[in-house]
Amino acid sequence: MADRPQLFEQTSQYQHWRFTRESLSKLRTENNRLGVDRVLHGLRQEAKVDDQETSDTRIAEATKNLLTPEEELKLIDFYLQRIKIYVTIYRASKLLKPDALDNVKATAINFMKRFYLHNVVFDYPPKNIMLTCFYLATKVENAFMKIEDFIRPLADAEAKRGSKTQTKSDDVLGLEFIVIQSLQFELAVHHPYRAVYGFYLDMQTFIDEKDALRETYDRTAHYIDKSLYTDLVFHYQPSQIALGAFKLAAKEKDLDIDLYLTQRFDARSLELLYRVLDEIQDGITTFAATSNDEAKEIDRKLILCRNPEKNPNSTLYKKTVAVQGDVPYVSDSDSD
Amino acid sequence: MSVLASALKQEIPAFQADDDTCPQCKSERYLNRPMKLLVGPCYHKMCEQCVSQRFDAGPAPCPVCERILRKAEFYQQIFEDLTVENEVRIRKRMAMTFNKRQEDFKQLKDYNDYLEMVEDITLKLLYDDDTDEAEYMIERYRRENTSIIERNQSKLLRDETIQRLAFDQEQQRKLQQREEHLRLLAEEQREKTDIKNSLITALATSNMDAKDIVKAKMVQLKKSSLSARNSLRSARFNIDDMLADMDDDDELDEDEANNAPFDPAESPYEPVNIKLLDRYDDPKNTAFRQGGLTAAGVTREMHQRYLIEGALAGLFVSPLEEDAASSEEQ
Repeated sequence: MADRPQLFEQTSQYQHWRFTRESLSKLRTENNRLGVDRVLHGLRQEAKVDDQETSDTRIAEATKNLLTPEEELKLIDFYLQRIKIYVTIYRASKLLKPDALDNVKATAINFMKRFYLHNVVFDYPPKNIMLTCFYLATKVENAFMKIEDFIRPLADAEAKRGSKTQTKSDDVLGLEFIVIQSLQFELAVHHPYRAVYGFYLDMQTFIDEKDALRETYDRTAHYIDKSLYTDLVFHYQPSQIALGAFKLAAKEKDLDIDLYLTQRFDARSLELLYRVLDEIQDGITTFAATSNDEAKEIDRKLILCRNPEKNPNSTLYKKTVAVQGDVPYVSDSDSD
Repeated sequence: MSVLASALKQEIPAFQADDDTCPQCKSERYLNRPMKLLVGPCYHKMCEQCVSQRFDAGPAPCPVCERILRKAEFYQQIFEDLTVENEVRIRKRMAMTFNKRQEDFKQLKDYNDYLEMVEDITLKLLYDDDTDEAEYMIERYRRENTSIIERNQSKLLRDETIQRLAFDQEQQRKLQQREEHLRLLAEEQREKTDIKNSLITALATSNMDAKDIVKAKMVQLKKSSLSARNSLRSARFNIDDMLADMDDDDELDEDEANNAPFDPAESPYEPVNIKLLDRYDDPKNTAFRQGGLTAAGVTREMHQRYLIEGALAGLFVSPLEEDAASSEEQ
């Protein structure tokens, strides 16, 4: 038979969302540079409609506090970690089916990572983007809930904290189109969870220590969860990440899965696979989450350097709305 | 099977014209009805008698072009136009030697190159252009590929046998079907006349009310035609079965020729080879374990295969390298 394409090669994830480390960092630096330009341009525009003196100090403050690409990443990462917390909240209130949890979480995280490949936090602060990505992910992963149900736990938590602002359904839905557009309308995401379960089944053919294998499999979830926050998903296939997580778990549980690999695959392909697996294991183990304090610091800086064109609290934005008469939706998370 | 081969198989009558004249003895068909005009490899005609006179003693030159010919080389003309005749012969001869199929090649391009080479040689022979070289190439090819040629010839033979067999079977089944149908019709007719006869006798002999008798018999009549109709319907079903079977047969034949038709249900993707165990420790698929509801047509094995396919998908894809990145970024 002539060479037929493989199924995974047809996925949008494989075709459009794979990058090298260099291209990824280049993309982010470039986005950051353009974002900074937009912020300064916006502030100068604002100076025309606002009190000259306050504008000058604002521009000066903003230039001092502009975020670097690294800071952007850290802030995004902080909100990625929050997704994990939200998942437990919705699970506790029985709004998410237990078997959809992993996929919703992973898809939401992936959406957010993809979104910030083409956007910057100056324009869209991550807090609301996170909620929109989360809500979108519940729909994509067939775990849909009503927007009222989605908002209620958030509003409750805010009321408990005594926060001034309250999340409204418009905050989530208004950004939805912007997010989907930035995702280039490609909503199917493939995660290592399915692959790792497949490996668990396949390994049973070659590995006799059933209990140890089961324990190892149960442990893999921990490493896969960790891998979601890294950039590994932009470099490697879900199956490779799954196997990397399996190796880490096996090391911990003292199980020899090389036995499986050497029997299952031929030596030449293993050579490549081992190199890839080493890189993935490195990526997972070296990952460190952003701490609360760090995130707070960056968040504070972000308030000063937001793009006024997209900030509903800015004078420029209010003026534009007044002139045009319609409300382009922007995210409001400044006052938090 | 080529058109030519099938045409020859069905024994197309030789070409004959009323005003045929043998160029040698000048005898005409008008005077000599059974006269057979034969054509030699140099495409000069001669009647059967002249051929046996001239070539019975062994090879002799053609009276027109003086080429040395043998008796065995003469054959009856099929096409009116002799150039067509010539081409058909050459192509038939080529097909005997160059009988490779697409399956013998790894890539479509190789197959196409091969076809082109064959066509080049054929054209050389056709237009008498460099015939020696063409002959040399044919001979060399034959020597180099003896085993493949023989194998493909036997394959062709097998294909033909299968086709013939399928055809015969189909004919037989059609015949049976027809007999069955006729038998049913005759039976129904007989039953009807039986009932009518018994009605008349009943009317003649019984003391019951004539109306009641007629009513009872009418019910019987209806029933009998109903049962006949039922059996007819089952016969119709058989025909449907037969049609389905015929389709299957066709598919088999096509497969034999490795020329499978487009099948929308067939996966367009590279299949993954997975050997499944009989039993897995499968903690997550509770639905299958408890015999609970699953999507229509999904079996435990299918689901496990799906999972393992997911595990193997793209396992050996290397991450993008830097030089590929520049295009990726665009």
